[in-house]
Amino acid sequence: MSQIEIKVPTVGESITEVTIGSWVKKDGESVKRDEVICSLDSDKASFDVVSEADGVLRVKAQEGDVLPIGGLICVIETSAEAASAPASTPAPVASAPAPVAAASVAPATAAKIVEMKVPTVGESVTEVTIASWNKKDGDTVQLDEVLCELESDKATFELPAEAAGVLRIVAEAGSTLSIGAVICKIEVGAGSAAASAPVAEAPQSNGQAVTANASNDSYAAGHPSPAAAKILAEKGINPASVAGSGVGGRLTKEDAIAAQPQTAPKPTPAEQPKAPVAAPAAPAPAPKAADARGQRRVKMTSLRKTIARRLVAVKNETAMLTTFNEVDMKPIMELRNKYKDKFKEKHGVGLGFMSFFTRACAVALQEFPVVNAFIDGDEVVYNDFSDISIAVSTERGLVVPVIRNAEKMTFSQIEKEIIRLAGLARDNKLTIDQMQGGTFTITNGGIFGSMLSTPIINAPQAAILGMHNIVERAVVVNGEIVIRPIMYVALSYDHRTIDGRDSVSFLVRVKQLLEDPTRLLLEV
Amino acid sequence: MQYDVIVIGSGPGGYICAIRCAQLGLKTAIIEKYKTLGGTCLNVGCIPSKALLDSSEHYYNASHTFAEHGIQLENLKVDLAQMIARKSEVVSQVCKGVEFLMKKNKIDVYQGLGSFVDKNTVKVTKEGGDIEMITSKNIVIATGSKPSSLPGVTIDKKRIITSTEALQLNEIPKHLIVIGAGVIGAELGSVYARIGAKVSFVEYASAMIPTMDATMGKELQRTVKKLGADFYFSHKVKTVENTGDEVIVTAENPKGELVTFTGDYCLMSVGRKPYTDGLALENAGLVADQRGKIEVDEHTLQTKVPNIYAIGDVIRGAMLAHKAEEEGVFVAETIVGQKPHINYLLIPNVVYTWPEVAGVGYTEDELKAKGIAYKTGSFPFKALGRARASMDIDGTVKVLAHKETDEILGAHIIGPRAADMIAEAVVAMEYRASAEDVSRMSHAHPTYTEAFKEACLAATGNRALNA
Ligand SMILES: Cc1cc2nc3c(=O)[nH]c(=O)nc-3n(C[C@H](O)[C@H](O)[C@H](O)COP(=O)(O)OP(=O)(O)OC[C@H]3O[C@@H](n4cnc5c(N)ncnc54)[C@H](O)[C@@H]3O)c2cc1C
Repeated sequence: MSQIEIKVPTVGESITEVTIGSWVKKDGESVKRDEVICSLDSDKASFDVVSEADGVLRVKAQEGDVLPIGGLICVIETSAEAASAPASTPAPVASAPAPVAAASVAPATAAKIVEMKVPTVGESVTEVTIASWNKKDGDTVQLDEVLCELESDKATFELPAEAAGVLRIVAEAGSTLSIGAVICKIEVGAGSAAASAPVAEAPQSNGQAVTANASNDSYAAGHPSPAAAKILAEKGINPASVAGSGVGGRLTKEDAIAAQPQTAPKPTPAEQPKAPVAAPAAPAPAPKAADARGQRRVKMTSLRKTIARRLVAVKNETAMLTTFNEVDMKPIMELRNKYKDKFKEKHGVGLGFMSFFTRACAVALQEFPVVNAFIDGDEVVYNDFSDISIAVSTERGLVVPVIRNAEKMTFSQIEKEIIRLAGLARDNKLTIDQMQGGTFTITNGGIFGSMLSTPIINAPQAAILGMHNIVERAVVVNGEIVIRPIMYVALSYDHRTIDGRDSVSFLVRVKQLLEDPTRLLLEV
Repeated sequence: MQYDVIVIGSGPGGYICAIRCAQLGLKTAIIEKYKTLGGTCLNVGCIPSKALLDSSEHYYNASHTFAEHGIQLENLKVDLAQMIARKSEVVSQVCKGVEFLMKKNKIDVYQGLGSFVDKNTVKVTKEGGDIEMITSKNIVIATGSKPSSLPGVTIDKKRIITSTEALQLNEIPKHLIVIGAGVIGAELGSVYARIGAKVSFVEYASAMIPTMDATMGKELQRTVKKLGADFYFSHKVKTVENTGDEVIVTAENPKGELVTFTGDYCLMSVGRKPYTDGLALENAGLVADQRGKIEVDEHTLQTKVPNIYAIGDVIRGAMLAHKAEEEGVFVAETIVGQKPHINYLLIPNVVYTWPEVAGVGYTEDELKAKGIAYKTGSFPFKALGRARASMDIDGTVKVLAHKETDEILGAHIIGPRAADMIAEAVVAMEYRASAEDVSRMSHAHPTYTEAFKEACLAATGNRALNA
């Protein structure tokens, strides 16, 4: 029987981890080569994982699990016997730990050591530091239990156990390792008697439901204690999705208290056989009913958690600050008023402000290359092209599709591209490719009425332009107070590479181009 | 008055439910038609029967084993009136205890017959005929059960009696004919056999306590026989007649012949039926099934009318006080939106004869029927130091474990304090322990519970240490 491991592919340079969105196929099911088996979500996009071979699927990561790039998603067992194994009785996977053998059964143990190495966490990351160990040397660990935290220059991530067994730490906390170096070893099946047979036969109880958790072959693995069962039911968590820390993988009350629902809890029909329309089964307890000062707790989606972590990381890991200016929008508005009908007639798209801003930034980026550059390790990477990310707000959160080579595009091309990308974003159809590789970002808080804000850089980029609302303000022009449509603009930038002179000059240049758009034509 | 929960019936199901509701902050009322709270269990069930079982067991030991212990007694005799008086005192104390608990938890107690007006309103008809209407968001039916009889048999409560009368007889029967050798028959038959009555069990099934593991019935019969009881199994009772000074029981024996038994009392202990008389279920849109049970949703214990729940003897399942209590807590927690569980397989059955009988999980016959491969480990009390010391050497522990995984699937004990010992098996089985798990846990020595450990060792690998 041969096995093919399917791991999280490298999906984009800034993506270090993905979340298992949903399993299309079930553990133990037969799958065909190229069949879609599950979907993965990153903070940028969702994509499907297809089977690399015909065989039987052994799920290694549950829905909602967050895996690093290179993390094990599942195993495909590719042999005739495996393929014919009935789906309902998952055969023990060879890599699974030996069962805790009943005393009457001769103890047999699989002597297998799983080496855990530093995963590929991103193209630009070459080494990681072990921030802390959550488990001690010699501890018994469960599959997917977090063993330690790794830090790269970009982010911190957790290392989940690739197998259940006894942990043998190789690299201590604080040590810096390159990608591929061994972090620790897990002695699979260690703890019981010395091994003879390489693969143990898991005793299968036919009377009791055998949990599908291949990581722990005790017949009682995943069995909740009475209190744990109640707590899990109330949280809407399937006990099968919780790793048990009790004897033989049993779920203790503590496990249940610590368990987090991994996806929005959907009441399973078995648990809620009867949902009376008026839900009289659950009237609020009297104290709650007293008045309407309720609180709600809603789990963060994985996208939201990733965004949250990223934003904090950027604030912590860059030297970010913001410079401001104001733009008199009168010339652009006049130009727009004059040509918007003709423009629409000719190009089939409206003439908006975004094309002016995108053009202006593209030109300014060519003139201030450091604003269009990013740091990679000890080097600064300069980009000759202006690939401008445009922040689009969708229901799932903010996404940033990229307008490529904006420096070469005409106004109408930019307008069309923005409409196309925004449409894909709202339909949740943007691909990773369409969202990565931007060199600079424009975000428009003005559409929600923002007067002034300090946007956060879209790492690894070095700068971001914030647009705001246009307000008629009294300004002084040629010694006279006049009313002009004014927009404040903000440029947040990473001071590590961009000096104040460059950032301020960049923004002044953008202002200049916007206040006198003819310059865009004449390239002056 | 407007409540969050009204509980109808104050038995172990009802009063426990009311307390849990109150603990959860619900405004709660309880209705009881009798003057004392506590239902069947406290007034005419578990508690008084145990009181008489203990008294009669003391007498039996005094007359049969004290001499061997080196205690000489003269003029030993039974004062039945005092036994009954003590029992009544015990009952009155525990009932007052429930009254106190109602006060402590600020539960309003309504004494009177509760009947539905509609699905949210209950009419309480008090003794004098006064009527009070109370309404509630939720109503819990906990009206329990009453003794049932057989066709052709009229219970006159004088010579043809139920357990309720058997708990307060004025004289020791000369010959008590017990129809039905189930739990209640075995217990009350034992009481009177120990204090001198001749007892004959007439039973339709082929063994005592037929719902429990077959080994238990056989063992129990052996020990009850020592009290001088006779057994007539596979006998179908046709008629019971009170002739004034005697009762004549006519039954069909296994050969199809009619046989008669003559005694001075006949205890009908053929089971109990759910009780819903006077509840006016129809006003709430409910009906009881043919056997009088109220149908409930398996997962929520809601009746067809979602704000009305039912628990205890009035619904399906074993008629046991602790089962009713679990359901009472379950319903209270369900009402506030919690998600409690009841594992019905792990509700233990208990019989308070001496030796006691207790069982939990699957019986051997059930495992066979389900086709589950199992192994058996048994350990007799006569091999146990503790049992030797107290001269309680009758009985055995039988543990049934899964053939491959060694998980304990059933535990059946007949022996001293079996009803207390079974708790260990329940705990182990709630955690799905294997027989070996239990054998690796220290059990104090000398105790009766060592027998359970030894039986687990026997089940694990036929390695009981003291057998
Ligand atoms: C002799 C005997 C011995 C027993 N021994 C044991 C034992 O050792 N262990 C054990 O677990 N079980 C034992 N049982 C069984 C146990 O008593 C019952 O299972 C238990 O009492 C059921 O509880 P319940 O709350 O459902 O109902 P009950 O205890 O029957 O309580 C129902 C209450 O509701 C009241 N009621 C009914 N209708 C109305 C109405 N319309 N309005 C107001 N009030 C109403 C009744 O008066 C009663 O008080 C024994 C039973 C008997 C008869």
